[in-house]
Amino acid sequence: MNVIVGRYINRNSWVHRLDPRMKILSLIILMIGTFMTSTLINMLWILAGVFLLILTSKISLLNFIKSLVPLLFLMTFTFVFQVLFNKQGPIISTLTLNLSFITILLNVVVIIGYQILKRFRIRGFFWFLLTFAFIIYLYTLNLGTPFKIINLNLYRDGLTFGLFLLVRIIILVSASSLLTLTTKPADLNNGLERLMKPLKVLKVPVDEMSMMISIALRFIPTLLDEVNKIMKAQASRGVDFASGNIKKKVVQIVSLLVPMFVISFKRADDLSNAMEARGYFPGMERSKFGILKFRFSDYLTILFSISFLVGIVYFDL
Amino acid sequence: MGIEFENVNYKYDKRNAKYAIKNIDLKIDSLNEFICLVGHTGSGKSTLIQHMNGLILANSGIVKVSGSDVKKTRNINSVRRKVGMVFQFPEYQLFEETVEKDIIFGPTNFGVSKKEAILKAKEVAKLVGLEQTILEKSPFNLSGGEMRRVAIAGVLAMEPDILILDEPTVGLDPKGQREMMELFKKIHQTTKKTIIVVTHDMDVVSEYSTRVIVMKEAEKKFDGLARDLFLDQKLLEELNLKKPTYIKIAEKINKKLNRNYQIGCLSLAELIKEIVKGE
Ligand SMILES: Nc1ncnc2c1ncn2[C@@H]1O[C@H](COP(=O)(O)OP(=O)(O)O)[C@@H](O)[C@H]1O
Ligand SMILES: [Mg+2]
Repeated sequence: MNVIVGRYINRNSWVHRLDPRMKILSLIILMIGTFMTSTLINMLWILAGVFLLILTSKISLLNFIKSLVPLLFLMTFTFVFQVLFNKQGPIISTLTLNLSFITILLNVVVIIGYQILKRFRIRGFFWFLLTFAFIIYLYTLNLGTPFKIINLNLYRDGLTFGLFLLVRIIILVSASSLLTLTTKPADLNNGLERLMKPLKVLKVPVDEMSMMISIALRFIPTLLDEVNKIMKAQASRGVDFASGNIKKKVVQIVSLLVPMFVISFKRADDLSNAMEARGYFPGMERSKFGILKFRFSDYLTILFSISFLVGIVYFDL
Repeated sequence: MGIEFENVNYKYDKRNAKYAIKNIDLKIDSLNEFICLVGHTGSGKSTLIQHMNGLILANSGIVKVSGSDVKKTRNINSVRRKVGMVFQFPEYQLFEETVEKDIIFGPTNFGVSKKEAILKAKEVAKLVGLEQTILEKSPFNLSGGEMRRVAIAGVLAMEPDILILDEPTVGLDPKGQREMMELFKKIHQTTKKTIIVVTHDMDVVSEYSTRVIVMKEAEKKFDGLARDLFLDQKLLEELNLKKPTYIKIAEKINKKLNRNYQIGCLSLAELIKEIVKGE
């Protein structure tokens, strides 16, 4: 299984060497920046900046594209929604759809073909989009005698705002991926803990929270292993996880969830005993192994991030 | 009919050069065999047995169960029913509210009626040595040994032709281990069905097996009788395997007391017989 969360790729780049606290702060500043920008041009400039960071981080662009794939649906939906329903600004082009018997018939044929191909494991969101685009294209052809003509107007602001949102999502996701890809989970957690330290005054259990996060990160692969084992054991008892109606799906999930809970509780019990045996006590002050220290490049980064934010505010208003 | 492997290969990571199992040829009857599968951790034992009920499909080569190719069968569940698989720590697969419900889970998945399945559950519960009163209890209130028996009963209730157990005695105390092995022997003797047990215990191999298969670094290195394996000093060293206790005892007696007993005794009974014969 492919876990993007906490997937660290070891390279030797200046982004990797930065202090995790600085990286987290800079990410937050960047996020605020994208929400303060209001024009597509500025957004594209920020994207270019993020792109530059990615290039200098020595991590393959492919990893960032992969992290965007799960959001493909959201991105497409956001864009299409804007294009269809945002009716501000001048019209830039008009799509004429001819509804005739032939086009509707062809449409049905395409859908049936799509469903048949799905059986042969040809599916996925790209394939769906392609089919959808093809159907739209069918209607723009002048086939048969149309009994109804629909004019779809494309407005300039709909298009730019759709693109604007698209770029914003891409920036947010790639910048967050840049952080997790260039920072070891342990360092990330350490940095978060240090940044949240002031919250201790407000009685927020920062140390315990960070301990919980690091334990959770540590056990994700272990639990995935267990899921795999339990699935195999239940498959041996005739559970077919690939198919089944709703009622069967419920049984399948229960047959997986109950053992997972049992195993997790047992592991938690063992772990807490082991931690106690090694002297861990919640709330007690612990010394640190890796002490974070700012270097010149870290100060430079934060300075740059802040001037970036100031710049955004200046240019946007 | 049983299980047949023809030149089977499998890698978990295709980009990696490391095979999990390599060039495996194997023929296993569905009757009268008690096979012990041994080998060091990571030698490919679990991978091998998971091929036998279609949980893993070979990268290349053919696996046949009852004569039909596992990769080409339409209904993988028919294979899974024929080859019952009990995993390490099978107690973790329990999830139903009562022991009985958990035991009938397998059979009902394979289309057996609930009534028949319940009858079968009572029968297998008795076979694995569980009291009938336990059937109404929650599986989570049982002892570790009992839970494991319930899980094994759940697979037996499917009435598989062949029963495979992956390290079924790990985590049990010596007495529990012995009882567990005696249970498999009993099942084997009453049903005649072939049983395959993955184990690290050479005493288990010597006492129970009718056939031993040794895996080493993804390859099958030995397939034959326990006696032939344990009397071959060179092979044992090459495969890094220990001798079973009774062979060690016979050797010690020969050396210390200057006797000349046969050292191929695979069980206590055989050793005693040999000693009685010699005196
Ligand atoms: N789910 C898995 N993913 C990747 N590699 C695995 C997996 N399971 C086993 N392996 C690898 O395959 C090899 C054989 O493992 P396995 O069949 O479990 O051996 P055994 O049961 O004899 O200990 C080992 O090197 C192991 O690391
Ligand atoms: Mg194993």
